[in-house]
Amino acid sequence: MKTPERSHWPDGKRMAFVVTVDFFDAAGILAQEPRMAGREKSLSVWQYGARRGVDRLLDVLDEFKLHASWFVPGSVALEHRAMVRRIHGAGHEIGNASFGCENFDALSLAQQRDSLLSAQAALADVTGEAPVGFRSPFGNWAPGFTQQLRAAGIQWSSSWRGDDLPYLHPSSGEAAQALVEVPLHYELEDEPYFTFNLYPPVPVGQPRIASYREVLGNWQQDFAGFHRLGLCLPLRLHPEIIGTAGRIDLLREFLSHVLSHDDVWVATGRELAAWWSSRHTGNEPGHPVDVFSPLHEASVAP
Amino acid sequence: MQANDGAAPSSLWPEGVRSSVALAFDVDGPTGNAMLDGSIWRNPSFFTLGAYGPWRAVGYLLDLLEEYRIPATFFVPTWVLENWPAQIRAIVERGHEIGYHGHQHEAFWQLTRERQQEVMAMSLALFRKHLGLTPAGFRTPSGDWGADTIEILLDAGVRYSSSMRGDDRPYFIDHAASGRSLVEIPGRWELDDYASLAYQRNPDYPAGLDRIASYDATFDNWRREFDGSHRDGLCMTTLFHPKVSGKPGRILLLERLCRHMRSRDGVWFARCGEVAQWWRERHAGARVVA
Repeated sequence: MKTPERSHWPDGKRMAFVVTVDFFDAAGILAQEPRMAGREKSLSVWQYGARRGVDRLLDVLDEFKLHASWFVPGSVALEHRAMVRRIHGAGHEIGNASFGCENFDALSLAQQRDSLLSAQAALADVTGEAPVGFRSPFGNWAPGFTQQLRAAGIQWSSSWRGDDLPYLHPSSGEAAQALVEVPLHYELEDEPYFTFNLYPPVPVGQPRIASYREVLGNWQQDFAGFHRLGLCLPLRLHPEIIGTAGRIDLLREFLSHVLSHDDVWVATGRELAAWWSSRHTGNEPGHPVDVFSPLHEASVAP
Repeated sequence: MQANDGAAPSSLWPEGVRSSVALAFDVDGPTGNAMLDGSIWRNPSFFTLGAYGPWRAVGYLLDLLEEYRIPATFFVPTWVLENWPAQIRAIVERGHEIGYHGHQHEAFWQLTRERQQEVMAMSLALFRKHLGLTPAGFRTPSGDWGADTIEILLDAGVRYSSSMRGDDRPYFIDHAASGRSLVEIPGRWELDDYASLAYQRNPDYPAGLDRIASYDATFDNWRREFDGSHRDGLCMTTLFHPKVSGKPGRILLLERLCRHMRSRDGVWFARCGEVAQWWRERHAGARVVA
């Protein structure tokens, strides 16, 4: 396999590595599975993050001197003020994950804007700093929303897929401010491998919980591939999933493997986006976002 | 339909060949049901997930195939060709074969005769316009076709198909009314990366959101499939998708498989078109009627 001809990263580093964390508490699962409402036992599976997982995850990140980008819905920040302040105070980035962890597919553009702005206000109130990062909890948004993100002061998103390097959302109207996307990969997320609830069933087909050892093996192989090709690897974690006593060592082992390479640039999403937008004014011709965006803008609501 | 069998391994292939490997990739990109019903234009996460295939993964796969000197076949919906012509042109320039795979990955078994003909004609026009070629092969999107599809394919000039699952070596599908035939190079679900590695939400795949399999275990399965096919002197093709197994970590899995296959003697690494041509020339006596 070809190795990269040139580095995309600062100081000639070979690849970029960013840890993102979705601290969604019960809001995330309630949006995903409305039948969870009122099911205390089931909800406690997701509330375990605030109870134990966040602290365990903070400890490991501290152990590795690693700053992550945490996405927090506004409602979760208001409910767990002290905890979110503590995450922020430890040097981590706090990003906007909507107000109530809504699935944006069910909201109009105006509702999406309101959710974004309410969350900006709540997070700024809790941490004293307005977020510059955004994640749509379920990945999508309506045509026209990128202008709303720019207007709200958002500089980067990690919601879409389609690349293994960051890319730029097309500029629109007079809004010239760069909006960088740090694209996701399901195989680099903890949730598809481990999330589980018996009833209401999560995942819907009640598959077995994946083998921890084999997931670590997959992640190490994914890392090897991203490293060889000089790409940007975004890990997506959930405190209630990776922050258990049994699974946290899986993260420890993975981070230890990644950080044993001295040619890996470890960055927050904010740093990654600032670097990318300082070096790029557009994407290579034919980029998926540039193919998609005109068709997205022209589409009609279902 | 009955399969032709009973041949000793060495008798199926050219002198010195024990088994054939016709690696094949379906470059679906974002095409498929969500594009056909228009819902993809409100689903950026899903569009971009699919677009990764032609946009990035095809390039990684071409480097891998070059390193192991393995020719392959790429079945390409022509919507993908229209939007990423440079990436698809590179497939041809680097010595691989291109086959039909619908325009937006239409399910042929659900289309009228007229619509199937339109899709084939549109695809041909786009292959000629962007690549200056006429494909010989066809892999039906979704794997099923209608009772009238064979005649439509033959009328469109198609010489072989790689659509079915029911055998482990090529066979003929005759169109009795016209005395013409297609060579079929059947694939196997065991060698479809959707059965182990594909994962997506909204629309959910797998439907029950089963876990992504272990890469090591997947390699072991595929390695055993090759070993068995080679031992028995068969023809192994694959239903790999760049957006699934052409991702950075999984390229390493394919690399291990290529290295393993290359370490064995007597493997004929061929494009599907070459396998079909050989089969037509050497096995024309063993016919089955569709």
